[in-house]
Amino acid sequence: MAAVLVHIDLDDAERPDASSLVALAAGRHVASSWGATLYAAVVVHDPEHPSLDLTTDEVLTTTMPNLPKIGMVEDVLARGGADKVVVAVSRSPVEPLWAAVGNAWQGVIDHLRPRLVLFGANAPSAAELGPRTAARIGARLLLRARASGIDDVELRDRDGGYARASDGGAAVAMIGRAAHFRADEDADVDVVVLAVPGGADPRLELVATSPAEAVQSAATVIVLGDDVASDPKVIAGAKQLAALINAHLLGGSAAARAGAIDKRALVDRSTPLAPELCVTIGNAQVDVAGATSVIKIGATPTNRVTFVDGALPGLADVGLAELVAKLERQ
Amino acid sequence: MSDERIAVWLGSTSPQRSIRWLDGALETAAKLDPGKTGKVVALAAGGNNWLDLAADRARHAGVASAGVPTDLQLDYLGWTQIVTAAVRELGATTVIVDEASHANRWTEVAAIAEMLDAVQLTHVVKLGIDPDDDALVRASRVTGRQLQIVRVRGPAVFGVRIASAPVDEYPTPMPSTSMQRLELDALGLDPTVLGHRGLPPRTSAEPRKTVERIAEHLAVHLVPRGAR
Repeated sequence: MAAVLVHIDLDDAERPDASSLVALAAGRHVASSWGATLYAAVVVHDPEHPSLDLTTDEVLTTTMPNLPKIGMVEDVLARGGADKVVVAVSRSPVEPLWAAVGNAWQGVIDHLRPRLVLFGANAPSAAELGPRTAARIGARLLLRARASGIDDVELRDRDGGYARASDGGAAVAMIGRAAHFRADEDADVDVVVLAVPGGADPRLELVATSPAEAVQSAATVIVLGDDVASDPKVIAGAKQLAALINAHLLGGSAAARAGAIDKRALVDRSTPLAPELCVTIGNAQVDVAGATSVIKIGATPTNRVTFVDGALPGLADVGLAELVAKLERQ
Repeated sequence: MSDERIAVWLGSTSPQRSIRWLDGALETAAKLDPGKTGKVVALAAGGNNWLDLAADRARHAGVASAGVPTDLQLDYLGWTQIVTAAVRELGATTVIVDEASHANRWTEVAAIAEMLDAVQLTHVVKLGIDPDDDALVRASRVTGRQLQIVRVRGPAVFGVRIASAPVDEYPTPMPSTSMQRLELDALGLDPTVLGHRGLPPRTSAEPRKTVERIAEHLAVHLVPRGAR
């Protein structure tokens, strides 16, 4: 039977990352439609685990690591629809870097040989592990994909990429959205614990971690234009939208004066921004990279950003309120 | 850093909005060669107009350039085959990828690293020689709302999103005579085989103009309901 494998990141509280659970839900829909087994795999590190002394290059089954919340993780993954949970015990601490967990993850891939591998698009490890996994198994790569269909479920991304049951090769997808799935409270799940070979890549050393500046965001930003920066309705709507899409709220000096943004989130028309998604409100002037998807709300045609993916002309507060309402219902 | 060459992969088409990210990648690479020994080489593939622009910006940054002329449209693995073949031909071990100028180019970082068996680092916002050990590179990368600072030794592929100063206008590049041309067959690549990784160019869709369609576009960025 074919395997659908979902990579599960754990958050700071050692719970499954929310975006990973979205990928698990998508995996459940796909696996049920394709007649595949759904595996949810989590890479963990237990400094006291006996498998750390192993020197073999083989993937071996081993004992459960002594991690206080691993039982809760299994329970969440079972209720999220997993048929089997794979706990991969890494020889090195887990960080969202290929150099840190790539060897362990590769052990899981080699062991299961999945036909489809899913990551939560916003999961911490997705950017480092997803494309490398795809390259390693020669798979098609879908970005911000979603599951669609009822009987014949397929994955589709915005660029027209897809993965279907009838496809020949493997695919890797970063899942942006999926219909909610919740199994019975007493859902049963098989758990496999694997000791995976290899530790961290010694060529890379993590020196420090610190909060990133808002303008360095690689994910999503919302930029308030000076013309709307003192409008309470727009500010409220922008903050709601920011919460919905986990965006940094940026703006110009007027927005800072109005208290709508933090002073560290101050940008001007030449501040370079390279997020995946940028939503501008009003006549915000931004200098965004070509990689950025841009949506404009309440902008006039003179706004200079080119290659826009969407624009809601008219009053910013009205367009923003309608958009927020629409997204909140999803 | 070692004396081995550094390739800067600029991609297969002109930057979509601004060339400041392309310039930023070139300037970043040039700083890894403070002695200006000529070990940095810009690498591009695609049509002649794009190759001329890439060569012009490389000359502007004071680095050499190499180009692979081709009219192929490929997926991430197809371009990666061309990049890795060219990188090997150039004798480079470190690759810096301008991942900001085009959507989805960041996915090529991992694929290039996989083929070169190199360390990979995506979403790098700062890169330079390590102040404590000039044999190492120090990089800062963004992950979520965190900044990771790492030190790297040996072969590596860095996806950078580092901008140079804004450039409003630049002269139309002249056909380049200095760019080293690398033909596919000389790299051991067969265009027919590469064509199996063909990817039709995305049609330039009209901007979405309704709340419904924009909400659809944003929906794949939504924080899951339980996590809001």
